[in-house]
Amino acid sequence: MRCLRAALLTIVLGLLSGNVAAQIVTEWGIAQLMQSLGQVKSARGKFVERKYLAILSTPLEFSGTLIYTAPDRLEKHILLPKPETLVLEQDRFTITNPTLQKSRTLTLTDYPVVQAFVESIRSTLAGDLQTLTRFYHVNLEGNSGQWRLSLTPREPAMQDVVRLIHISGSTNRIDRIEIIETQGDRSVMVITGIAP
Amino acid sequence: MNPSPRLAIGIWFAFTLICISIIAGATFTADLSAFLPRSPAPAQQVLVEQLRNGVVSRLVLIGIEGDTPPALAQTSKHLAQQLRRQADFTSINNGENTGAQKDREFLWRNRYLLSAAVVPDHFSVSSLRKMLEENLQLLGSPASAMLQRILPNDPTRELLGLIEQLAGQSRPEMRHGVWFSRNGERALLVAQTRAAGFDIDAQEHALDLIRSNFSTATGNSAATGQKLLLTGPGVFAVSSRENIKGDAWRFSLIATALVAALLLALYRSPKILLLGLLPVASGALAGVAAVSLGFGSVHGITLAFGATLIGEGVDYAIYLFTRITPGETSRSTLTRIWPTLRLGVLTSICGFGVMLFADFPGLAQLGLFSITGLIVAAAVTRWVLPAMLPPGFVALEDSGIAAWLSALVSRAPAWRMPLIILSVCALLLLALRQEPLWNDNLGSLSPIPLSEQNLDGQLRADIGAPDVRYLIVAIADTQESALAASEKISTALNALVQQGALQGFDSPAAYLPSLAAQRSRQAAIPSRADLDNNLRQALRDLPYRPDLFAPFLADAETAQKQPLLDRNSLQQTSLALKLDSLLIKRNDGWAAMLPLRGVNDSDAVQREITRLKITPVVLLDLKRDSEQLFQTFRHEMVTYSLAGAAAIGLLLLVSLRSLRRVLDILAPLAAAVIITAAILVLSVGKLSLFHLIGLLLVVAVGSNYALFFDRQATSAQDLGRTLMSLLFANWCAVIGFGVLAFSQVPVLYAIGSAVGIGAILSLAFSAILIARARNESHDSS
Repeated sequence: MRCLRAALLTIVLGLLSGNVAAQIVTEWGIAQLMQSLGQVKSARGKFVERKYLAILSTPLEFSGTLIYTAPDRLEKHILLPKPETLVLEQDRFTITNPTLQKSRTLTLTDYPVVQAFVESIRSTLAGDLQTLTRFYHVNLEGNSGQWRLSLTPREPAMQDVVRLIHISGSTNRIDRIEIIETQGDRSVMVITGIAP
Repeated sequence: MNPSPRLAIGIWFAFTLICISIIAGATFTADLSAFLPRSPAPAQQVLVEQLRNGVVSRLVLIGIEGDTPPALAQTSKHLAQQLRRQADFTSINNGENTGAQKDREFLWRNRYLLSAAVVPDHFSVSSLRKMLEENLQLLGSPASAMLQRILPNDPTRELLGLIEQLAGQSRPEMRHGVWFSRNGERALLVAQTRAAGFDIDAQEHALDLIRSNFSTATGNSAATGQKLLLTGPGVFAVSSRENIKGDAWRFSLIATALVAALLLALYRSPKILLLGLLPVASGALAGVAAVSLGFGSVHGITLAFGATLIGEGVDYAIYLFTRITPGETSRSTLTRIWPTLRLGVLTSICGFGVMLFADFPGLAQLGLFSITGLIVAAAVTRWVLPAMLPPGFVALEDSGIAAWLSALVSRAPAWRMPLIILSVCALLLLALRQEPLWNDNLGSLSPIPLSEQNLDGQLRADIGAPDVRYLIVAIADTQESALAASEKISTALNALVQQGALQGFDSPAAYLPSLAAQRSRQAAIPSRADLDNNLRQALRDLPYRPDLFAPFLADAETAQKQPLLDRNSLQQTSLALKLDSLLIKRNDGWAAMLPLRGVNDSDAVQREITRLKITPVVLLDLKRDSEQLFQTFRHEMVTYSLAGAAAIGLLLLVSLRSLRRVLDILAPLAAAVIITAAILVLSVGKLSLFHLIGLLLVVAVGSNYALFFDRQATSAQDLGRTLMSLLFANWCAVIGFGVLAFSQVPVLYAIGSAVGIGAILSLAFSAILIARARNESHDSS
């Protein structure tokens, strides 16, 4: 009898917990993810980026700091191997290279491919699903504790360059961005030590 | 002195026939540059030539507004597609990538000939090593995908350097795949016509094509609300020809109709009306014929100015007709008034004559036209009209008006003090004004209406066409030496860009290097074996895949032997267009133009240019130069005007032999000029050169009234008739000049409004000041 009760209880609890779990899964989705990402007002973190390129026999490695300020400013400070700063604000993209003593400002709308690249990260950070879906077909896997967005480009021009972008994270943090290019090249950026 | 009537009419008839035959063979133009000063410096001459028929003159800027951005972009693409099929246009650019492919191919194939970076050290081990290391860093950027495709052929990144150099010019924003204004309200296109800007018929045809294709593209533009905006030199040429043509006809007709109505009301006889118009008509024919003979062609604006001749020339007949009293022959009347009339004609000629000396071909035409017209009109009044008038002709019975006018004038001197005070106030206003009195902007002389100038400025700003202010012009005998000079200047300018004296510049040598430069670049490429060797050393320990750069070795070897570029090599690319606008074949040689951007230190640029010591090179500061040019012309015109006024004074002194009387006559004219100037300043802000001419004409026209006032009347009846003739003559002048005040063409409305106001004031002030002076002289005698 005790066994039976225990078994029933287990089943009930199991059902209950299963129900609860199912309920959470249906409630947590792309909208919730975007909303929680959108609540982040600022974030900074260290990154290490490895680029596996067809023309190189070993991968390139870059590291430095990423700074995000809501809703549309993103800074990438490359420190190693040589310093370079990329700043994105609204639709202006500025690259400053102290070694080459060059600074260039691009208007994003002039360079659709670069814009698509940039928006994959920035729109995700900002939780701006509308912009994201303008450039990509978006697919979400996982749960709020560990999720992965898969972005496939909509525009043929972008499809020529990029096949797929994976952005993974937990709750409202992004910790890995993988870009798989059409030509077979690949880059992986791992972000650590994220703080507001 | 008085030839037989038959002879007079015969001579007049023959003269008129000759005039008509000359006019029948005359050519008529509407060239906009006629009312811009002739510029003496050769470098500026190049510019004026360009404005007339260069690439700049062929550009039509097109704006489409009044709808959502996607709809506007749709129309832009559709319109561009349609216009690209038309032979009238050499290019249609709306930001779509249609031509870019060909441009990039051209740059890619010829990168080693075009790149100024290719110098003997460029392919050394150390230089290659530096480039290869930089490449690794650049591969980290979002542009790595593109970079990877070109690096195997171009590890020294010549293509990127060329693209960056050419992309330095600011370009319009892109939205929905086409050019837009910054605020996104207007889609933008730039069309280049095949025909030169001065070929107005061809320009008109091209513009019609744009308009009709726009209507097709929008289906029904009224329904979508989309609006087409057009601007550019060709648009101006077409619309100002329309304006001038319209103004010439409209104002001459309106003035004629109004004057005719006035004369008809006065004389109540169509026959007298026709006789009254005879001197003017003869004068106008003679004026046009004289201009045609003297200048080879007649400007549309000269014809429009004919309206003023009606106002002035019809006066002579009025003086004659109104003054014939019953029982008097026309000849005896003429003998009586001729000395005064003659003096009036001569003073008018002094005034209009000043325009002959003006450095504007257009103004000189107006001067010749007016002088000829006035002389002929006066001569016809003097010798032909009396021959045509029947004996016992009386145009006007005595009427109450004359008596009423006499009474009015007798009370006029009471206004003397208020007039003096008003004149002093006006003088103070002009003298103490803080802002400059004169508009030294060349645009103020342009025959283009202000609204169109504003639209042009807006579209130009939208399109990012820099409002070129600084420009270096190098003049040379051959294309090769013009390009070589551009290269020397470019080297000097690059150093200045580094120092921050300017942001950038454009040079014809960037699109087509001189043959010498191309050869030296070919010579700077090492042999294949040497280059391979250098590359191997430079690649040591770098992570590039082995044999990655084999295509580079092959391309460099090809470049060493490839045929040199000439002008034809650029055909089919949009760069050809650019080159055509920067490297210009002239009648006696070549000119290279290097527009500068973001100049911070023009003195430094000037110093460097001077230090180069090569063929004639000039740094033009278009703003400063045109303002200086304008000031010079203004000073000249002020001098001429003073000379004209002095000539009028001298003429009066010689004729009247009394300084007192000369001053009496000049006083009301001076007051009229001062107060007219004050009214103009208060209403339009700044005065232009054309206003100055207008003020001089106030003296020329007004002197007639003053002279007749000054003349002693023989009787009360004579006084009444004098006053009546003056009043009607004045109305005619005000009509003739006044209608021009409604013209869109600046030269016409400036002169028209000045003389229209000044003529009324001259008459009123003459009545106030001279009548009083005459009374005083009566009292004293």
